[in-house]
Amino acid sequence: MLHKRLYQFVLVYFIGLAFLFTVKGVFNLSDYVIPGLPDIYSTVHRVFTRYFFDVLNTLSVAIVGHILSIAMATVVGIIGRLSNWMGSLIRTAAFNIQAYPIVAVAPMIFILLGDGLSSRLLIASMICYFPLLLSFIGILSEPITDIEHFYVHSGRMRWQLEVKIRAFENMNKLITVVAGSATLAMVGTIVSEFIGASAGIGYSIRIALYQSDLSKILVALFMIGIFTSLYLAVLEWLGHIVSRSWGKREA
Amino acid sequence: MPIECRNINYKYPGAQFPVFNNLNCRVGEPGFHALFGQSGVGKSTFARMIAGQLNGFAGEIEIREPKKVFYSYNLERLPGWSGVGEHIEKVTPEANRKRIDEIIESFGLSACMGSGFSRLSLGQQNRVNLARYLLQDFDLLIMDESLANVDEATREQIIFKIKEMFPQKSFLYISHSVAEVSMFCMNIIVLRSFLKTPQTLTIKGQDDVRGRQIVKKDLEETMLEIVNAS
Repeated sequence: MLHKRLYQFVLVYFIGLAFLFTVKGVFNLSDYVIPGLPDIYSTVHRVFTRYFFDVLNTLSVAIVGHILSIAMATVVGIIGRLSNWMGSLIRTAAFNIQAYPIVAVAPMIFILLGDGLSSRLLIASMICYFPLLLSFIGILSEPITDIEHFYVHSGRMRWQLEVKIRAFENMNKLITVVAGSATLAMVGTIVSEFIGASAGIGYSIRIALYQSDLSKILVALFMIGIFTSLYLAVLEWLGHIVSRSWGKREA
Repeated sequence: MPIECRNINYKYPGAQFPVFNNLNCRVGEPGFHALFGQSGVGKSTFARMIAGQLNGFAGEIEIREPKKVFYSYNLERLPGWSGVGEHIEKVTPEANRKRIDEIIESFGLSACMGSGFSRLSLGQQNRVNLARYLLQDFDLLIMDESLANVDEATREQIIFKIKEMFPQKSFLYISHSVAEVSMFCMNIIVLRSFLKTPQTLTIKGQDDVRGRQIVKKDLEETMLEIVNAS
C-alpha cells in the first residue's frame, strides 16, 4: 500500500517537474522564473530540516482536524440517519451548508480566533467534515433489510445495533471515504496556513511566494506529497486491519 | 390463533392495478398451512400484511390474542461479525435455549455452527435462518420460501420435525411447489388474480406427517384442485 502510494506520488511529481523544465527550455525562461536543478538542489540543503518540521506541524494539525471531523460526522450522521424531523433537518442542513465553499469563511475565522492553532484546526476539520458527513448520512440511513428484518420484527433492534449493521456492511465504503477525506484535511490545513496562520508548511509556501522562490515551493510540494502519502497509507492499513478483524468470519 | 382477513383492498403506490380486490380469508389455526399462487399475485404482500409489516390497505385483519406473528423469507442474512452458533445463542430467548441443539441437529446444521454465515451454502443459510425463527416465541410463523434452496429430502425432514416439535403453533408456508404444499399442508390458500372472485380459495391438503403413507391418488387430486383453482 505504502510503496504504491509513494511510487505514484514520486512519478507524478517528477512528471510535473519534467513539464516545468520543458516549459523552461522551450520558452528559454530564466532561473528566476523556473529554477534549474542546481538551484533546487541547494534549496533542498538549505530548507529541508525546517520544511520537514513545518510539514510535520501541518500534518499533526490535519490529523487532529481529521479525527475531530470523523467524530463529528459519526455523531451527526447517526442522528441524521433518523427518519423523523430531526434527521430530516440535519440532512437538509448538511446538503445546503456543504454547497458553500468553507474556504471563503476562513478569513472570518482568523479575524475571530487569531492566527493560532485553533483557526487552523477549525478550518481543516470543516473542510473535510461535510463530505464525510454526507457519506456517513448516506451509508447510515440506508437500511440493510436482509439483516435488519429479523431484529426489527423480533423487537431486538436498538440504534447501536442498527448503526453497527450498516457500518459493517459498508465497511469498505467507509474506509474509502475516511481515507479520501484525509487529503481534504491536509488541504484545509495548508489553505488555512496559506491564508493567515503563522506556522506550518502553508505559511512557508506563502513566504516563498512573496520571495518568488519556486525552488522552495517545489521542495515544499515534494514533502507535502510524501507526508500525505504516508498518512493515507497508514489510514488504509488501519482500515484493512479493522475490516479484517471485524469481518474475520466473512468469506 | 385464527386470523380473519376481511375485504382487503390494496394497490401499491403508483401501480396501475390493485394487488387485492375484496380479499377475504381465514388463516392461522395450529398446523401447517400454505399460501399458494402464481408469481406476482401478492403472496409476500399478503404475508407482510398479516405480519404487520405493511400498512395502508383498506379492509380489516383481525388477529386474536396471542398474536406473535413472525415473517421469515429466504433472502435474509445474519450479521457478518459473529459466527452462526454465536448468533443463534444470542438471539434465542432463555426459555427456548434447550431447543437449540435439537433443532440444529435435526436441520443438519451441527457442522456449521462455527462458521460465518456467508461461508455457508444457500441451503444451509436457509436452514440457519429458519432455525433462529423457530427458536423465538411465536404463534404464527410465516415461511416465505424459507426452504427454497434446500433439497427435497432435507426439506421433508425439516417440515416433519417442525410438525413434531410445534404441534400447537401455526405455520403459513409460501411455496411455488404444488406437490410440496399438497403433501405437507393442512390447508392451502390459493391466492388468485385480483380479477377473479373470490380472490382466495382454500383447499384441503394431505397434511403428511412422519410415518404416514399418503395415497398417491389423493395427493394427485389435491394437486389438480390447486392447479384448477389458481
